[in-house]
Amino acid sequence: MKHKRTMTAVAAAMAGALALTGCTGQSGGGGDTDDSTLTIWHYENEDSAMGKAWAEAIKIFEEENPDVTVDVEKQTFEQIQKNAKIVLTGDDVPDVMEFNKGNATAGQLAAQGLLTPLTDAATERGWDEKLTGSLATTATYDEQGRMGSGEWYGVPNYGEFVGVYYNKDMFAEHGLEVPTNLDELEDVLAAFKKEGITPLAEAGAEYPLGQLWYELVLAYGDRALVDDYQLFANDVDFHNDAMTKATEKLDEWIEKGYIASDSAALTAEDMGVSFIDGTYPLMVSGSWWFGRLATEVEADWGQFNFPGNTLHTGSSGNLWVVPANADSPSLAEEFIDITLRPEVQNVLAAEGGLPVAGDASVIEDERTRELTENFQAILDADGLAFYPDWPVAGYYDVIVSELQSLVNRSKTPDEVLDGLQSSYDEGKADLLDG
Amino acid sequence: MADSTLTERRSRASGGPRAQGGTRRRRPDWVGYLPYLLPGAIAFIVVIGYPLVTNVYFSLFKWRGGMAPLRWNGLGNYADLMGDDKFWTSFGNSLAMIVAMVLVPTLLGLVLAAVLFDYLGRRFGAQVSSVLRATYYLPQILPVAVAGVLWNWILNSQTGALNEILRGMGIASPPNWLGDPTTALPSVMLVLIWVQMGYPVVIFMAALQRVDPELYEAAELDGAGWWDRFRAITVPQIRPETFVVTLTCTVAALKVFGPIYVLTRGGPESSTLVPSYYSYLSFFDKSQVGYGSAIATVLTLVIVVVAVIILGLQNRAERREREGI
Repeated sequence: MKHKRTMTAVAAAMAGALALTGCTGQSGGGGDTDDSTLTIWHYENEDSAMGKAWAEAIKIFEEENPDVTVDVEKQTFEQIQKNAKIVLTGDDVPDVMEFNKGNATAGQLAAQGLLTPLTDAATERGWDEKLTGSLATTATYDEQGRMGSGEWYGVPNYGEFVGVYYNKDMFAEHGLEVPTNLDELEDVLAAFKKEGITPLAEAGAEYPLGQLWYELVLAYGDRALVDDYQLFANDVDFHNDAMTKATEKLDEWIEKGYIASDSAALTAEDMGVSFIDGTYPLMVSGSWWFGRLATEVEADWGQFNFPGNTLHTGSSGNLWVVPANADSPSLAEEFIDITLRPEVQNVLAAEGGLPVAGDASVIEDERTRELTENFQAILDADGLAFYPDWPVAGYYDVIVSELQSLVNRSKTPDEVLDGLQSSYDEGKADLLDG
Repeated sequence: MADSTLTERRSRASGGPRAQGGTRRRRPDWVGYLPYLLPGAIAFIVVIGYPLVTNVYFSLFKWRGGMAPLRWNGLGNYADLMGDDKFWTSFGNSLAMIVAMVLVPTLLGLVLAAVLFDYLGRRFGAQVSSVLRATYYLPQILPVAVAGVLWNWILNSQTGALNEILRGMGIASPPNWLGDPTTALPSVMLVLIWVQMGYPVVIFMAALQRVDPELYEAAELDGAGWWDRFRAITVPQIRPETFVVTLTCTVAALKVFGPIYVLTRGGPESSTLVPSYYSYLSFFDKSQVGYGSAIATVLTLVIVVVAVIILGLQNRAERREREGI
């Protein structure tokens, strides 16, 4: 008997271990198996624009569905980002969750069959009319996880974009005006440098330098290049005119000292802090800094779009997605629909959250209105060109590493382009290969 | 196993003296202890055995993870590894990690422990030496994430304490410690030496307490100086501990991850990439699960081989010592 019991124990342990990774071949989509709770995962702070808007959406949902309990579970960005592909294969998944957009993130999950297609809901509820052009690009993914075509897998509520923050006091002190094209921007940079001030706050160890590089690519490039680079419409030769000029321009700025030579290992946080404390007069970075700057910068400051560009680094914000194993997908769709209503969108607008379907004129705060209008201008020109690290998985580290070597003067622009090209081609082949 | 139970029962039922003898022969004393091994064995299977086998299995496929299809790739991932510069860079950096986490701390630790025990301990009392020992051990207690943030503050190129001091001394452009590929690896190594130092010091000081003081007295009477005693008594007496320190630290150096993650994330320009971080990058960031698993498998193999070599050396040294006596 003893032997038998031990055998059972071993067998149970083995079975348990197998169950941990076992296939749960449930199909998503169909009807709700649980219509009494809606489980939401997101990772926005309660006092952020998104946090406030979504609290409003949850309130509306609860009023309209008194029988349904809403269960909000706060996660962290890193937690969801790193664990999603493991967690979502199980049964203990949320009904709706916030997830990062792009080929390497939401696209990966869609390709792995972990998300429910939302195309029917999008047409029935009119999401496809509210979200068009470059906003809808990040909501749809094909079976290989590439954005821009195929089924709807996510719905964005807000947008984000990269622009230029400037210290008005320092501009005034040196008698400088807001530049309206790239040449004028260079004049401003040169003027600061002449006064012994390094003009651009930068960070080589994280995303900022790559975004500045991409802004310059967009300054010289057009939508066709973006489609080739981001959506693989055609092969990209990195030694093309726009990318060569952009990389050489960035190299020239580093050479001339517009970017600090010791910024290779600095983080985005370092960059933000040095702009906030007035060390640098200019910072090219995203709208996600807005709230922080509004509370922490003591000098007078403002924001303008990267001068002269019609295309800008930026995209829809994170997406609401519905996991394939969710047990109440139709409640999830209803919740997503509520987040796009004017009541919720205007909460986003008022808080500087850049709504995709909001109204800038209702905003009272001047800087928030300026930011929202700048974003609306980009949307009106359908000018969102996404982020440089999006096309292939793991490209972020490649861009960081290659541009670090530009800052450290260890590679020429030509060699940097070679490095960017080879990893891009490799990643693209990997992606198309399925 | 079930089979043998049946046989046993049948033989007991027959009750013949020959059968009884047979049972006794088949059940030596240690059989009774086997059930006590079970918890450990189950834990081993669940925590180590099963993941290890799964890892090797995944490494034979091209796989994006999640519910994506697994596509058979045979030894393709391993073949790709052989031609991957970053993979070789990462293992090259492992050698630097061994220098920083094994070689330097062990040598310095040996000298420090001897000085603390032999000189400071005797001169200023045991308390002074235990306070100092605790100070050396402090970095080992600090969570690596905290230590990493701390060192980032010190080594930051623009606002770091170290460069502020250097600029204060009139050096216009101090080194960009973690940002320049030529200084990043040495900077990380220095941090690791700082982290690692306390461990051998504590182990060696404990070992020294085991050494018979009469040996030292006798040597002193014979006119041996400090260095002679260190070489002829201290080093050979604590050889077993030296092997333990070398083994555990080498394994730790080969699989180092935390300090790299918090200090440099393998940068700048991949100059501080190590195998475990490279595996993590492939597995999670690039979603190349098969490739990441292949790196992890190779790393495991390397660690096992290195550990076996060190254990073999230790056995040989012990055998020789026994034969010497």
